[in-house]
This record gives sequence, C-alpha cells and structure tokens, in this order.
Amino acid sequence: MASTDEELVARSIGGDLDSFNQLVLRWERPIYALAYRVIGREEDARDVCQETFLRAFRALGGFKGQAKFSSWLYRITLNLCRDWIRRERRQPLAQTPEGVDLVELAGEAEDTESIEELVARKEIGAAVAKAMALLPEEQRTAIVLKEYHGLTFQEIADMLDCPLSTVKTRLYQGLTVLRRQLERSNVTRLKDHHV
Amino acid sequence: MCNQVYKDLLVSYLYDDINDMDRAKVDMHLRACEECRTEFNALRSVRVDLGSWAPPLPDLGFRIVRDAKAAQTKRASWRSWLTPAAGLAAAATLVLAAALSLARIEIHDGPDGFSVRTGVSASAPEAFDGSYAGARGVPARDVYLASDEGGVDLAGISRRIDALESALKHAPQSRNAATLNARASDEALIKRVHEMLAQSETRQQGELALRIGQVIRDFDNQRHVDLQAIQANFVRLGDNMTREAQLHTDLVNFVTNGAGKQK
Repeated sequence: MASTDEELVARSIGGDLDSFNQLVLRWERPIYALAYRVIGREEDARDVCQETFLRAFRALGGFKGQAKFSSWLYRITLNLCRDWIRRERRQPLAQTPEGVDLVELAGEAEDTESIEELVARKEIGAAVAKAMALLPEEQRTAIVLKEYHGLTFQEIADMLDCPLSTVKTRLYQGLTVLRRQLERSNVTRLKDHHV
Repeated sequence: MCNQVYKDLLVSYLYDDINDMDRAKVDMHLRACEECRTEFNALRSVRVDLGSWAPPLPDLGFRIVRDAKAAQTKRASWRSWLTPAAGLAAAATLVLAAALSLARIEIHDGPDGFSVRTGVSASAPEAFDGSYAGARGVPARDVYLASDEGGVDLAGISRRIDALESALKHAPQSRNAATLNARASDEALIKRVHEMLAQSETRQQGELALRIGQVIRDFDNQRHVDLQAIQANFVRLGDNMTREAQLHTDLVNFVTNGAGKQK
C-alpha cells in the first residue's frame, strides 16, 4: 500500500531522501500545472516547479503538519509565481499553438470524441488561456485553485491569507470577465456549432 | 445578480461548496429571478469551457539528490582534523570494495564520456552526482542539494555520510580506475571469446568430417549389401530360367515322342 503524504514527510524529515522523492513524484504534475496556469509559460513553470520542491525540502524541518502537505506546496508555488510575476513585470503569456496538427490531435482524442470535437476543445482551451492571461493575478489564482485543484473556499482563503468573502468575490469577478472574453471570441459560436 | 450577498452565494452554489440552507435559498431565488438564472447558466458554461484548458505534459522527472562536491567541501573543513588520513583512506577502500563487490556495475558511454553506475547507486541517488534515468523511463531532472540543507537529522545519518564522503572523495579516481579496468577487462574478454570461437569452430569441423566419413562408410556398406542381394537374385533368376528351359525341352521331347508313336 502506498504511503500517505504524512508518512513520507515524516520519513523525509528523518533524512530519507527516497521518501521525499516519492512526494516529488506524486506532486510534480499538480504543482507544474498550478505554476503553468498562473504564469502561463512552460519553461518558467518548470523552473518554479523545481524551485518549489527545493524550497520544500530545505524547509521540511519547519513543516509541522498544521496544514496538508499539498496545501503547503501550493503556498510555496504561489509565492514563487508571485515573485516571478513581480520580477518579470509582465502578464502571463498564453502559449497556444499557431496551427492545429490533426495527426497529433488524433492521438489525444478520447474514445467518444470525434476529431472535430477535439479541435473545438483545443480552440476553446486556447481561448480560455488567453482570457485567463488577462485576469488580475488574484482572480486568476483563485479560479485556478478552485477550478483545477478543487480546493475549498476556506482552503483558498487560508492559502492566500484573505477573508472567505474575498475569495468568492475574486472568483465571481474573474468568472464574469472570462464570460465576457469568451463570448467575444469565436469560441462560443464554434462551441454552439459543435455541441 | 441582485446584490453582493447573492453573488457570493451564487459562486458557492456554482461550485456546490454551500450549506443546505443557503442552497435552498439560491434555488428559490433562481426560480424567481430570470436575470440571475441567466447569469448562473452563463457562469456554468464558463466552467465547462475552463475544463478545456489543459496544461502541457512535459517530462518533469524531478529528483532531489545531494551535491557530492558541496558535501565534500563543506564537511572537509571541520572533519579534516578529526579524521586521520589513514582512517579515511581505509574507510574509502572498504566502502569502494564493498560497493564494487555487491553492486551490479553498469558502464555507459555517453556524450560526457564513460560513466560507471552500480545497481546500488540507482536506488541511492546520493552515491554519485551523475544523472539517472527517471523511474518512469524519462530523463531525470535532478535537483542538487548540499548535504546539510533541509534541516534533516544529520546526526542520525552521520555514519552513512562519513562513508559516502570517503567514497566520494575518491570517486573520480575510482571511476577512472574502474573505467580503465573495464576496458582492459573488455579486451581480455573479447580475446577470450575469439579463442573460444576458434576452438569451437575447429571442434565442429572435426565432428563434421567424422560424421561425413561415417555416412560414406555406411553408404558403401549398404551399397555392397545391396549389390550382393542383386547378385543373388540374378543367380536365382538364372537357375529358374534354366529349370524352365529344361521343362520346356522335356515337354517338347514328350510331344515329339508321342507323335512318333501315333504314326
């Protein structure tokens, strides 16, 4: 049976590097996805992901288990993302492919999905990425944590050190902006055409 | 939406992160307020769209490994006076001997030259500071650490670090030695294989000649037996023909004599 995060953390604090690397293996993809969606750049997200685990390892002795290990990692990641945004002083870049490679797409298609539906999904995803890049960092972060990582409002509030109502307001405002952006794009028409 | 309170509730309702009483309140409001119902449906549609945004899937393969050089430099400063050089050398010899005898040794010829990796080191990334294949078959992306980082319990692993430190101090020389030994060993092995192949070929040729000679002898014997049988059959056939001819002569004589008596 796989060890829990808490067990692996305890062993890591005791000096077991393999246990920590199991935690890395378990959480690298969610952490990378969080960083990518917040800063929008693949290579930078990779660097943030790597730095997150390095910092987590260095600070492991100070982790008392007052929060979930994943929440702790998320907090480190978000701090690094914030640093990156301040340092670079630029908005996230929505990296989207110029064209659609049908052969490549065919490999990603789910069983019940036609190639047309897959193309539509990709285009909607690209439009979402562009719209998300326009959001203020606070709104974008709240949406990413709620939508893609399934955190509760309270967990997000704790992580971002803000009141619960602020989290909800950020979400509402962010979703409203996204709605307007997506309605302006061709995505809605394309989606209506295919769905 | 009607007011800010309802906006917060609507968001909670949208993500189903809401208590039963508030959920009932929003349900009731949405049935009554078309504007809020339209907005709720639009936000729900945005959530569906958000599901289409997937991040790329790069090969990450991060792994924390200790930086052997940093560990060696930092610890050497306070341990050099503590540990006698002879003891250090003995420990290094012992560790290397144990590692080489116990571990499977793999020699890789990569873009950075030859590298030696043991079966033990694959599961103990702190043994060498090279790169390792990731557990999932993707190139590993190692994150190097000085050994005193992370607030880990160094006292608990002190002996292990001592041994590793000693090993790592001699690692480059050991690696070169191992590589040279491996090359010499390879040449000897190849030579031995050639010899064995030559011996095997000679032995096989001898066995083939013997088998061919045996086949020829068997063939000659069989031919001789067959010829004798044919000869015997010819003799028997000649005897039969002689007997038949005699019977025919007797029959002719009998008929001739019978005809003479009738006259």
